[in-house]
Amino acid sequence: MAVNLMINGKATEVDADPQTPLLWVLRDHLGMTGTKFGCGIAQCGACTVHIDGVATRSCQFPLEAAEGVKITTIEGLSPDSSHPLQKLWVEFNVPQCGYCQSGMLMAAAALLEEIPNPTDEDIDQYVSNICRCGTYTRVRAAIHKAADMMKA
Amino acid sequence: MNEIKTTRRNFIISSLALGGALVIGTRAQAATVDVSPWDLPNTTGSAEFTPWLTINADGSVIVRATAVDIGNGTLTQIAAYIKEELDPVWDQIKPQYASTNRDYLEENVYSGPKVGGALAYFSGRSTGPARMDTYLQVAASARERLRAAAAAAWSVPASEITITEGMLKHASGKSGGFGEFVTAAAAIQLAEEPKPKDRSQWVFLGKKHPGKVQLPEIVNGSLIYGVDVIQPNMVYAALRQSPVMGGTLKSFDADAVKSMPGVLAVVAVKPGDNVPTDLKPPFPFGVSTAQHAVAVIAEHYWQARTALDALPVEWDDGPGAQWKTTQQMNDAAIAALDKPGEKVEVSTGDFEGVFKAAKKTVEGTYLTPYCEQAPMEPLNGTAMVTPERVDFWHPSQHSQMAYMVAADETGVKPENVFFHQTFVGGGFGRRVFSDDARMVVAVAKHFPGRPVHVIWSREEATRQGRYRPLMAGRLWAALGDDGYPTALQGRVSGGPGFFVSGINDTAITSMLPNVQIESQTVPFHILTGPYRGPGYNSNAFFVETFLDECAVAAGIDPMEYRLNIFGKWADIGWAKCLNEVKAKSGWGEALPKGQGRGVAIANWGMGGKADAGTTVATVAKVEVSKEGVLKILQIDLAFDTGRIVNEDAVRTELEGGTMFGLNMAVNEGLNIKDGQIVEGNFDEYPMLRMADMPAQINVHFGGLSDNPRFNEIGEPPAGVIGPAVGNAIFAATGKRIRQMPFRTQDMSWS
Repeated sequence: MAVNLMINGKATEVDADPQTPLLWVLRDHLGMTGTKFGCGIAQCGACTVHIDGVATRSCQFPLEAAEGVKITTIEGLSPDSSHPLQKLWVEFNVPQCGYCQSGMLMAAAALLEEIPNPTDEDIDQYVSNICRCGTYTRVRAAIHKAADMMKA
Repeated sequence: MNEIKTTRRNFIISSLALGGALVIGTRAQAATVDVSPWDLPNTTGSAEFTPWLTINADGSVIVRATAVDIGNGTLTQIAAYIKEELDPVWDQIKPQYASTNRDYLEENVYSGPKVGGALAYFSGRSTGPARMDTYLQVAASARERLRAAAAAAWSVPASEITITEGMLKHASGKSGGFGEFVTAAAAIQLAEEPKPKDRSQWVFLGKKHPGKVQLPEIVNGSLIYGVDVIQPNMVYAALRQSPVMGGTLKSFDADAVKSMPGVLAVVAVKPGDNVPTDLKPPFPFGVSTAQHAVAVIAEHYWQARTALDALPVEWDDGPGAQWKTTQQMNDAAIAALDKPGEKVEVSTGDFEGVFKAAKKTVEGTYLTPYCEQAPMEPLNGTAMVTPERVDFWHPSQHSQMAYMVAADETGVKPENVFFHQTFVGGGFGRRVFSDDARMVVAVAKHFPGRPVHVIWSREEATRQGRYRPLMAGRLWAALGDDGYPTALQGRVSGGPGFFVSGINDTAITSMLPNVQIESQTVPFHILTGPYRGPGYNSNAFFVETFLDECAVAAGIDPMEYRLNIFGKWADIGWAKCLNEVKAKSGWGEALPKGQGRGVAIANWGMGGKADAGTTVATVAKVEVSKEGVLKILQIDLAFDTGRIVNEDAVRTELEGGTMFGLNMAVNEGLNIKDGQIVEGNFDEYPMLRMADMPAQINVHFGGLSDNPRFNEIGEPPAGVIGPAVGNAIFAATGKRIRQMPFRTQDMSWS
């Protein structure tokens, strides 16, 4: 089934089974591999994208639901890695293996959009992604710093 | 669908507007690492100084890395060595992975005994002497050749030429970049190779702490991990192995799925179907065999997954099915401790005589379960097999092992096997043995001529692991009149592949005059492998929980108890680490009821010797509710690697290793039912998340002894956090935790 998608501001047509998770449409059908496969059951958050600005786990989001919404992936978070979080992730040496960090960044970006000055509890709630390398303390610090800078 | 927030805004526009207004200090970074830096050929106009180092016409420097970067920063460290001795512009250094094929053809140029041997291609530490010395020498030699070439071109003495930030300069005003001199320089024979600088002369190593070179490509999603590999004409495969390890494939009905969308083939894999190679396995744990399995190959991954789920398959479970429950296995491991171990690991003095005469003895029995490394990138690989050639893209932790396995599975001559090392989404030991590599190639060889991308589901990866072994341990100590141990006896047991490291070779075992450590293997069928801090990750828990029990029996503060014991150990790092965390953690300050502090200290890699390995002392402060809910309030740790070269890289590994060990201790434990692993995904095998962590893990540097070694840092913290937390739980509640994971233990109090 051909479906029209709007990804990172660009219209794209995909021909795939309507039940195919958006994750695999992005990665396999469209070759956009920045969005990662971690668990397949919306537990780990590695596949987080924005659907109309809402942080969404794309492994449980079927293609048929993706028509008519705006999809933003890590490739579209900023055109040149200039999002404050992307800069701070580098500045704070946040990632270790880096595999979960696309999802972390997308979750954190949606949080700051929703709550520009988040508390630790807000971060706990919105950024529930799994990082096996244990980068949590740096993720938290970078989010707080980004909030400070975006305020200024 | 899992929606995290409910209100909608136009995110993109606002963030762009903000981004442009920001000024952020930037740390030194090499923005030029290729997203897929695998065994690339030299480019036109470049000159190869040695197989390790090529300088391009534009002055950029290619350095070839053997050690796989699994997030521990090996590529960055290797770039730092080049920066120190050759001094190119930092972001003109381009690490690439050294070709295993070339290593084979050129007599182990990258893996000979002088450059790392069996571990050369292993993602271990990047600061081992073989690696450090190799890269510093390679860079120093290139530097002197460039100076000699410029000296000839400018007719000035080489000694008057300086190199700074990629520029050669002479006081006469002459200057030029590396690119101008590469061809001449690479051809120069020096009468004598230069000596790399003494450590006291370093200006970059130990002074700067660059972030990982691949960070810019991580944050925009462009870095290519194994699972991201896309090759022309590629197909996908979904894999299912015998649910009971060691079981066999009885039958499957391919006809039931062959007409499903995209399905190309259903293939069976079995052990012994390989064509062995003459290559020797580089990693010292032997060669994997394929497991009985079935795989569906399809045009797209989701088609393969869907068809695999629909595929009727019958298995013969084999003898592993005799293990009906986890409890049955735990009981068997603990029962093995009741009789003398089949192997005596250590025996010194007269431990029996001391125990007989002792007025006071302490005994403790401990258990740690099977644990899965669970790297976030599920196991995967892409292989194209033809009768003449294998191309293999794979996120290995040991490229040379994966290369060897690809040859061994297909029978293709090693010179025609091309292994392409990708970035790796976490390792923790899981990707060392290359059993995953073998399964990829074993599937792909049934579909020759097209690249086959095999991806494990999370459930398949979790249930088909090479786990941290189930282990049980019992320790006895005889205490003298002063309350301190005079003799120690220990027995450990576990399934095949368990390790005694961390108990047979630790400080207390080496220090006491009367010691016996025994071990006993129990015939479990579950496959095991390295998991961050093999052996140590169980044994440090046994030893350090037990030592806490001894301190309590003696009525002595657990910190003082350890200081008095390890203050006498020949390695001053132990006392330094303990004193550091004692001072920095608030040890001894009063706490409300339900809170407690615990300490643990251990060393990874010491092999029974002082001034070796990495020592870590950790203090955990916890709170336990009356209902028994555990919260970690604060973590302080001090360490002794001897010396360090990149402070922030060390800090990140200590933070990460502590988190890993905390998850292991609190959360992790696989269960067995009728021989199968029960847990499949993160809903059943929980991981700590942001909300479970203290805001900070306080890493303190006052434990460093300055002993002349740069020991590894990733594994050492994983062993001590568990017993530190367990000992803190005891301090808070009076309940002694002797089994992992802690979440299954009753911690309630009144």
